[in-house]
Amino acid sequence: MAAFELVAPRSVDEAVAALRGGPRTEIGVLAGGTDLLLDLDEGRAEPTRVLSLRRLPWRTLDWAAGSLTIGSTLPLRALEDDPDVRQRLPGLWQAVRAVGSVALRHRATLGGNLGRAAPASDLIPVLLTLDAEVELVGPDGARRMLVDRFVRASRRTELGPHELIRSVRIPEPRRSAYLWQRVRPANDISQLAVAVARAGDESWRVAVGGIPPRATLLPDVAEELGRADPDDRRVARAADRAQRDVAIVADRRASEEYRRRLVGTMLRRAVRAVGQEVRA
Amino acid sequence: MSGAEVSIRVNGSPVPLETVPDDERLLDTLRWRLGLTGTKEGCRTGDCGACTVLVDGRSVLACLTLAHEVAGSEVRTIESAGPDPEVDRVRHAFESAGALQCGYCTPGFVLALAGLLKERGPGATADELLEGLQGNLCRCTGYASIVRAVGLIAGAPP
Repeated sequence: MAAFELVAPRSVDEAVAALRGGPRTEIGVLAGGTDLLLDLDEGRAEPTRVLSLRRLPWRTLDWAAGSLTIGSTLPLRALEDDPDVRQRLPGLWQAVRAVGSVALRHRATLGGNLGRAAPASDLIPVLLTLDAEVELVGPDGARRMLVDRFVRASRRTELGPHELIRSVRIPEPRRSAYLWQRVRPANDISQLAVAVARAGDESWRVAVGGIPPRATLLPDVAEELGRADPDDRRVARAADRAQRDVAIVADRRASEEYRRRLVGTMLRRAVRAVGQEVRA
Repeated sequence: MSGAEVSIRVNGSPVPLETVPDDERLLDTLRWRLGLTGTKEGCRTGDCGACTVLVDGRSVLACLTLAHEVAGSEVRTIESAGPDPEVDRVRHAFESAGALQCGYCTPGFVLALAGLLKERGPGATADELLEGLQGNLCRCTGYASIVRAVGLIAGAPP
């Protein structure tokens, strides 16, 4: 006998109705499945029903007037293959390519990554620097909020018990970069990651990921970088500030001291990477 | 599981899914139900790439995919008998380069590479192909000959 019943509704209404059919802990939501199936194997989740999103029309990628809306079940590989994503949102493109392997990215999705809210998510830091908004759908209709508000803590989000992530909207193209540090590229998660982006008004966004409980924006560090192209002195000041300000913890993947040193180095490199892209 | 998509095609033959349990992984359907043991189980956590198969021409980890989730799709394994230009090209390169030791990771490497060639076309560079193999591990650490095989496939050697 199967451990769970798999349901794959064709409409959003049916999907939301399926979520209301029982206690939330007994229903697993399956997008690409690359995390959920591991949770099932390791007993971290024991749903009696699994709601598959595969038949919902959410595998979409829409550019409109400079903004990008990404359907929650679009495989990450499709984002990586979009030449406009690479050119207009280089930080996002780099972060997507940092997720697992090609075969994993053929199934893994942005919605799954966001809903999962793992502390080492490669995508959340970049979405923070892009001021991305998530769109949720539920019994009372749709609502939107910044990713910064949506992600609360490690594996905790604002998603209601009967809601699903429909899409993520990125308001504008941004010069941006994403750097990560880990032991092995494809089958490991980041010990530390730094995302930077430059908004339309030239102000910076800086976020750090890979440190529990969640990725965080560093507005004071961004402020140090100013709005003119930062010189070496400004970049160094921002790096010092990042090393002082970031709440760094040690876990089995990296010590506190190692991460603190990395933050400064990686921030300098990330800012320079954006500068180079400007000159190129 | 209900719905109109009630079967997958595996190497060209239809496989009905009615009797496949909802929680069954594609890997187990292939190995235990269909006897296609060329698809290997390495880690079963999505880290090693030994279970890589092609689903509609794209590489997928069969250990992290439910069989029902690929209903309506064409699945290709290393046993695939029909001519497939990309799989054939990779196979010949692996033979020429002697790109295997114990052979356990080989089906996954071959299908991952064939998938990359399908996606990127025959002009795929060695760098692109090698980067695309980051999710395939060889526990014999026999990578040098695998890199040579990639050199035979790619437009330019690595």
